[in-house]
Amino acid sequence: MQLQRSRRDLLRRAATGFGTIGLCGALQSASGWTTDSDEKSIPRMVHHPARAKRVIFLFMNGAPSHVDTFDPKPMLATHEGESPSEDIAGKNRAAGYMPSPFKFTAHGDSGVVMSDLLPNLSKHADDLCVIRSMHTDVPNHEPGLLLMQSGHQQPTRPSMGSWLSYGLGTENENLPAFVALCPGLPVVGPQLWSSAFLPGQHQGMEVNTTHTEVENLISNIRHPMLNSVAQRKQLELVQALNAHHMDSRPGDAALETHIRSMELAFQMQSEASEVFDLSLESKQTRESYGDSEYGRSCLLGRRLLERGVRVVQVFYVSKGQKQPWDTHKNNNESHRTLCADADRGTAALLHDLKNRGMLDDTLVIWGGEFGRTPYAQVDKSKDKKKAGRDHHHTGFSMFLAGGGIRGGFTHGSTDDFGMHAVEDRVHVHDLHATVLHQMGINHKKLTFRYSGRDYRLTDVHGRVVHNLIA
Amino acid sequence: MVANATNAHDFFESKIRPTFVAHCYECHGGDEADIQGGLRLDDPKAMRRGGDTGPIIKPGDVDGSALLAALRYEDLKMPPEGKLPEHVIRDFEIWIASGAVDPRTGSKMGEKKPTQFNWEDIRSQWAFQSPSRHVAPRTKSPDWCTNTMDAFVLKKLEASGISPNVATDRSTFIRRLSFDLRGLPPSPTEVAEYLKDNRPDSKRRLVDAFLASPQHAEKWSRLWLDVARYAEDQAHKVGSNNSLTYPNAYYYRDWVINAIANDLPYDQFIRLQLAADLIVPEDKQEHIALGFLGLGPKYYRRNSPEVMADEWEDRVDTVSRGLLGLTVACARCHDHKYDPIPTADYYALAGVFASTEMFNRPLNQAVAKQDKGQAKKPQEAYHLVRDGKPLDLNVMIRGDATKKGELVPRRFLTALSEEPIFFKNGSGRSDLADAITAKSNPLTARVLVNRVWEQLFGHALVGTPSNFGALGEQPTHPDLLDDLAVRFMNHGWSWKWLQREMVLSSTYGQSSHIDPTKLALDPENQLLSRMPRRRLSVEAYRDAILSVTGQLNSTIGGRSIQPDQADEGRRTLYSEISRMNLNPMLARFDYPDPNAHSATRFETTTPLQKLFLLNSEFMVFQANALATRLRHYGGSDRSKIEHAYQLLFSRKADALEVSLAEQFMSHEKTKEDTRENADAWAQYAQALLISNEMFMVD
Repeated sequence: MQLQRSRRDLLRRAATGFGTIGLCGALQSASGWTTDSDEKSIPRMVHHPARAKRVIFLFMNGAPSHVDTFDPKPMLATHEGESPSEDIAGKNRAAGYMPSPFKFTAHGDSGVVMSDLLPNLSKHADDLCVIRSMHTDVPNHEPGLLLMQSGHQQPTRPSMGSWLSYGLGTENENLPAFVALCPGLPVVGPQLWSSAFLPGQHQGMEVNTTHTEVENLISNIRHPMLNSVAQRKQLELVQALNAHHMDSRPGDAALETHIRSMELAFQMQSEASEVFDLSLESKQTRESYGDSEYGRSCLLGRRLLERGVRVVQVFYVSKGQKQPWDTHKNNNESHRTLCADADRGTAALLHDLKNRGMLDDTLVIWGGEFGRTPYAQVDKSKDKKKAGRDHHHTGFSMFLAGGGIRGGFTHGSTDDFGMHAVEDRVHVHDLHATVLHQMGINHKKLTFRYSGRDYRLTDVHGRVVHNLIA
Repeated sequence: MVANATNAHDFFESKIRPTFVAHCYECHGGDEADIQGGLRLDDPKAMRRGGDTGPIIKPGDVDGSALLAALRYEDLKMPPEGKLPEHVIRDFEIWIASGAVDPRTGSKMGEKKPTQFNWEDIRSQWAFQSPSRHVAPRTKSPDWCTNTMDAFVLKKLEASGISPNVATDRSTFIRRLSFDLRGLPPSPTEVAEYLKDNRPDSKRRLVDAFLASPQHAEKWSRLWLDVARYAEDQAHKVGSNNSLTYPNAYYYRDWVINAIANDLPYDQFIRLQLAADLIVPEDKQEHIALGFLGLGPKYYRRNSPEVMADEWEDRVDTVSRGLLGLTVACARCHDHKYDPIPTADYYALAGVFASTEMFNRPLNQAVAKQDKGQAKKPQEAYHLVRDGKPLDLNVMIRGDATKKGELVPRRFLTALSEEPIFFKNGSGRSDLADAITAKSNPLTARVLVNRVWEQLFGHALVGTPSNFGALGEQPTHPDLLDDLAVRFMNHGWSWKWLQREMVLSSTYGQSSHIDPTKLALDPENQLLSRMPRRRLSVEAYRDAILSVTGQLNSTIGGRSIQPDQADEGRRTLYSEISRMNLNPMLARFDYPDPNAHSATRFETTTPLQKLFLLNSEFMVFQANALATRLRHYGGSDRSKIEHAYQLLFSRKADALEVSLAEQFMSHEKTKEDTRENADAWAQYAQALLISNEMFMVD
């Protein structure tokens, strides 16, 4: 029987799969039930043509040092040991300007500059858009992480991935629109991929990349005893009971939705098993990414993007270290190790995306919650050999690649000491506005009414940085 | 210096205006919605007026002009993308020094933005008028009506030419009522007894029995805990520092259960949660009610002014949306755009919470204390609040803690006060509680009646239960809501009276059958021509599973549990609620984010939920438990199957259902091994537990 469904009911229940139809899809199809093929027509909430269909955010937890990676500051050498003239926080542990021991070189045809910590990435220089003029509001991890992931310092707002899932849905209804890859939990934790007040299906699916077997990566992906043949048989019984139940309750769309969702879950078990099985990649490929949590996350990320996942969030966390990049001590040695790993995985990802023709419409974002001080931080022993760098939020670097972004380009600058972004400054809100823009979304129009007002990722802030766009 | 008028015009046109256009208009011009900081530079009058912080240009006074300070990157840094070249800044200095001549004409703006509220008009709007009794309307079929509320429903149905559904059968009714009042399915014995109870008042007896059961208080506490954004920790933790967590939050949860079990009048229920320490200072046990405020989120970097301002927003938001159905927190940065809530009203309320401090009261005398009598460890404390130093707040312009506006005395919302109601006693929490629970307050009773209605009827009468303002939905049955609200107050603000009134109605007793003709006329069933078929909440679904598998542990109150632990038999209400890492089972099944007040729950249907049903240890364990229970029941396969239907669905299995079960079993039975056979029963049991009928209530 074909029955009219109410718009409200439909909005409430539209989420058969993983929010496949997105917001606009639900509104457009409110007059009738969409078929599978309808639901695949994407994207749903575009305000203008999208340059990117998907995003992968490679997040360096703890905050990498900009003056050791993308922002060379020779003045730090000439003024080594001198205290910054301005009033700085954490003064008692500060030990004057600390030059970077790493060598900076221009790479590619474009001459994008990076340090020798990033040998593999340097081969992709012409695809990178380095932003040297990032700034954020506070130099503390928790609010910094939340601001970078959700546009707000307090843990009450949806993450960027959730906003994109809400606005655009997924391209593959057997997989969630938004996946968060993290070995264990980062600082702050699941709030970083929370849907907050958006409906629950827009929450990032958490994948614990400490593990390698699919059963451990995703909870409840396999029955502990039944094989798939036995489970199929059980499912057929469930669905027969459901069909019988529905027969005497005509006109109730929700019942049909549950039936379909159950079927999707069953299918997802095999789809997910395939996606998360890295043994299906060649040894050579796996080696190119590196056998670290981060390397595997990048490779998993690529496989998820290939299968239509909208947003992949990779957190650079290692076992027992929730923010490895927080180099208050031994900054130089730590950056050597961390960059070696990050450089390899990131470059392999860019390489694969490019080879598959996916870089054109995949936006890659790399960076941390802020940067690190151009001056040294020492402990009580005042031993400069073990010097680290402190948190630093008024100027730092990130890079973007692909997804319609201007490759081989360096945007903005910090002052001579790398202390403050001075030219073409880009706030976190501006970055968010630009990411949404590339996805075809006007950041001022992607709103959700909650608690009496229309919320958006960028709150009342954010400017699209057109200069970053190709 | 610019010498004369002509030169001054030219100077503006050649030096100043182009800079505005290139660097400022994007945020300070164009659409009103895009204007930042309330400052518009593309209009001469608006520019003269300035932004939220006042005028930005003092003609002739370069150093006194905020515009110059911003361009010099001294305070605000403008434009944000980078400091302008020195020579451009120099031009602005010259321009201001010479009198800041602005030759532009054609202003569309007034000198001052009118934001006056017309309070008389406002107080005459429905939401701000005290509710009154209404005569039950005359209907064509008065016989259909069991009680007063039915007449209001029937009248609207008749006006649309729709007839109500027939009454549902008794076994469906007892199942519905049991879930609604106790959050659990009826036992087969309860069903059998009700079906054979021929007494004319059998329904009322059943309702009274359910209302009197301890499970009723457990079920209904949950509604309140959503309102109160109940949780036991914070969204963040630095290292292993637990000092901001609430390990004993469950005392508050148990206080709520106890209050509802005793049918504590709702006005008193609120008063104690806001100000028990001030109202009954000697009755320390009742102070646990203060957990309503004392379990609120504490944010990172507490005590910095902007972070405390965020915490006060949480308290204002929870109190105003939760108790009054008003979104007062919207007015933190600017006057409410849609509702009559000026920014000053926000700070008048926020002052109450600025005058209140979080208080970890020692559990007993023996506990180690720290400064000002607080327990050293949160593990040894009740998490309450107490009065701090009384403090009125200045308006923070655009919500910025560093930009002070007028000082606002603590007082109640203007729209709800004929005369200003100032809060004089200490922090003002008891005055606030009095103002909220005054019988003349138009919102408090309506908001609660509406929440209870939503629990029982699926849709609330006001579809936005925490927003009765202009952006909220209009009530579908305003007279009914008002009449119920007044009678609720007249019946001593009794939760149980209210629920009894609703569930004994003919409206509630209708079948949930969907009639295509009625559906076409009223697709959202706003007129209530049927009971909606409803899905169980995660709490009721999990509890129903425990109940039918025989695993339910009926202990009331106490420390929290992990609901997805396979052999955990306590009700889902007792789940540990984390703001940082909400239990994945709860998170997956639409439990609201406990970081903020929840107005209502979303209902999503996702494959991840189904994966939990198909594969989780919890489900597999419970399926085995059910299989064991059926095996112990004994008898033939058929009798076990029939028993399963009574247990799970409160009804007999029909022929098709029995034959589906037998087919499934017989296939497995070809294997002789008894272990295989046990597995077949477990698989069958799981199929029943995860089938739609298990979590849908007709």
